[in-house]
Amino acid sequence: MDIPAGFSWNLRGRCYRLGDDVPHAGGVVPNWLISGRYMDPKDIVPHLFSETDPGFHERVAAGDIIVTGRNFGMGPKMTGYIAMRALDLGLVCETMPFLAYRAALGVGVRVLKDCPGVSSACETGDDLEVDYASGTFINHTRGFTRAFPPLPVPLRDLVRLGGNGGWLRDWRQRQQAGGAAVSPPGVSGPAVSPP
Amino acid sequence: MGMTAVEKILARACGVDRVLPGDIVHPRPDWMFVHDNHLMATHEEMEAAGIHALHDPDRVILTTDHDVIYVNERAIERGAYNRKAAAAWGVKRFYDVGRGGHGHIFPIEQGLVVPGTFYLDDDRHCTNAGGVGAIALRVGEEISTALATGTVWICVPPSVKLKLRGRLRPGVHARDLGFRIAQGLVPGGFFGIDADYRIIEMAGDLDAFDLASRVALCNSPTEVGAVGVFFPPSAAIVEQSSRLAAAHGIAVAPVFPDPDAAYDAQIEIDLDGLEPQVALPGGVHRAANLSDVAGTPVQHAFIGSCGSGMWEDLEAAARVLSGRRIAPGVRLFVTPGTEASTRRLHREGLLDIFQEAGAVVMPAGCGVCAGGRTGPVTAGETSISTAANNGAGRFGAKDARLFLGSPATVAASAVAGCITDPRTFA
Repeated sequence: MDIPAGFSWNLRGRCYRLGDDVPHAGGVVPNWLISGRYMDPKDIVPHLFSETDPGFHERVAAGDIIVTGRNFGMGPKMTGYIAMRALDLGLVCETMPFLAYRAALGVGVRVLKDCPGVSSACETGDDLEVDYASGTFINHTRGFTRAFPPLPVPLRDLVRLGGNGGWLRDWRQRQQAGGAAVSPPGVSGPAVSPP
Repeated sequence: MGMTAVEKILARACGVDRVLPGDIVHPRPDWMFVHDNHLMATHEEMEAAGIHALHDPDRVILTTDHDVIYVNERAIERGAYNRKAAAAWGVKRFYDVGRGGHGHIFPIEQGLVVPGTFYLDDDRHCTNAGGVGAIALRVGEEISTALATGTVWICVPPSVKLKLRGRLRPGVHARDLGFRIAQGLVPGGFFGIDADYRIIEMAGDLDAFDLASRVALCNSPTEVGAVGVFFPPSAAIVEQSSRLAAAHGIAVAPVFPDPDAAYDAQIEIDLDGLEPQVALPGGVHRAANLSDVAGTPVQHAFIGSCGSGMWEDLEAAARVLSGRRIAPGVRLFVTPGTEASTRRLHREGLLDIFQEAGAVVMPAGCGVCAGGRTGPVTAGETSISTAANNGAGRFGAKDARLFLGSPATVAASAVAGCITDPRTFA
């Protein structure tokens, strides 16, 4: 299984604050990485936010949390999220297009979306603590706690296992071990925050 | 409370009585589609997970529309890889180069995607399915999970009911309307709604919209965040699809929304006053009256793509080009959506019209719109096309100016050498 060492739903780290309408192409990562279909984290990581903040990847640490305004990551591409996951960063967005959200979860990024006002309440460098399973958001620097919609339960295995590739490897191992049917058709459960 | 069309189709695919927007479900699709540009990565991901067999190869359709003419070493290698992968998986419906054409068009023409069909796709332009009264949802790279297990998570999308009022005037095409609708759906647009991940369910005066117009109308909303468009199928479409589907042993079960279905929003648009539109460079939502930019010189023109690759789109362009030649200094690329359309162009004499006009007729597929692999623009040029999207660099140089228009507008502009209202050639 491809689970990042020390995986936890709870992250504590520094805030990296972004505003509204950051596009994936040209905002999160340069467009040439997307159009070139780069998938290897070592190719992508040096370019995360490089067009707006060169050297970003050298200043962040595992557990740091990207906090954005509305409409983060426009576009359904996964390139930038591969770098976020490789750096073990969390993501908290006021809003995020659903297919961008899907792309982020699909590579195993911990995401809270539909978190109104979160960007304007934080500054880069704040000491944050976020529990993605409960939706609890704590800004230790400014002394407030918010309750946001947690990551939906039916999607947690996908994220915990590192995204689609990890989920597939786990499924294969369970299948070989004679495990029961995985993902039977039907309703798995209501999402906590409908799109 | 009744259900919208997408709720009914997903409930059926899940084997339950009803689903609600926001539910996370695991539906069994009728089909799973992968196109040639994603197949290699999908196969490699599954191999890396130790998965060598598909859940149900007979429900898988592999298409070849992005790289139809291999123009570089990478494309040659990918084509060879794709053939091996399709054979290893035992997929019978593998549409290789020259077999089928555009993966979002030929399955509708052939009766594989019919009213009521539900399928999963790796590509967002699968929303074309809504034109025939089907629903297709893009799951991106997670198509590999669907191929391996037979399903993958889907969040049931909310629906917006869009009522069309009136009738388009002669010379005004569904793509013109599509640009205007996209302008209304984009964040901050005139509809004033959030269109992200919504199914735009069409209602109102739909009778004048044939299948090709409906498919054309599905295209642009996708570019501004809608996850799909759905047209309640007309009796003519159900009849035609049923006849075609019978050859595949597929029974057609059309789906219609309930009168008391719950919508996220209900919006309307008037058709009567709409003039021919262009989408200004930068996005399909940048709709403007064609008259605002008429006379802008163009050097590049393209007719085709998922948004304008149906037979009737080719016919509309041929009507303008008949007996005319494109202007000096303009190159016009025409990409039929399907191989069947190419054969029909030949049979019905339209191939002569295009070629005598000086257009280049390309093999069926995505054509220029697939990243400019073939027929791209160069720096400083201005293009008018029916491409799905006109973001900077979509098909060639980043600083080229990419306008979008209807097939007739593109043909008229190629003839005149500048952006031109097709009604002047009527």
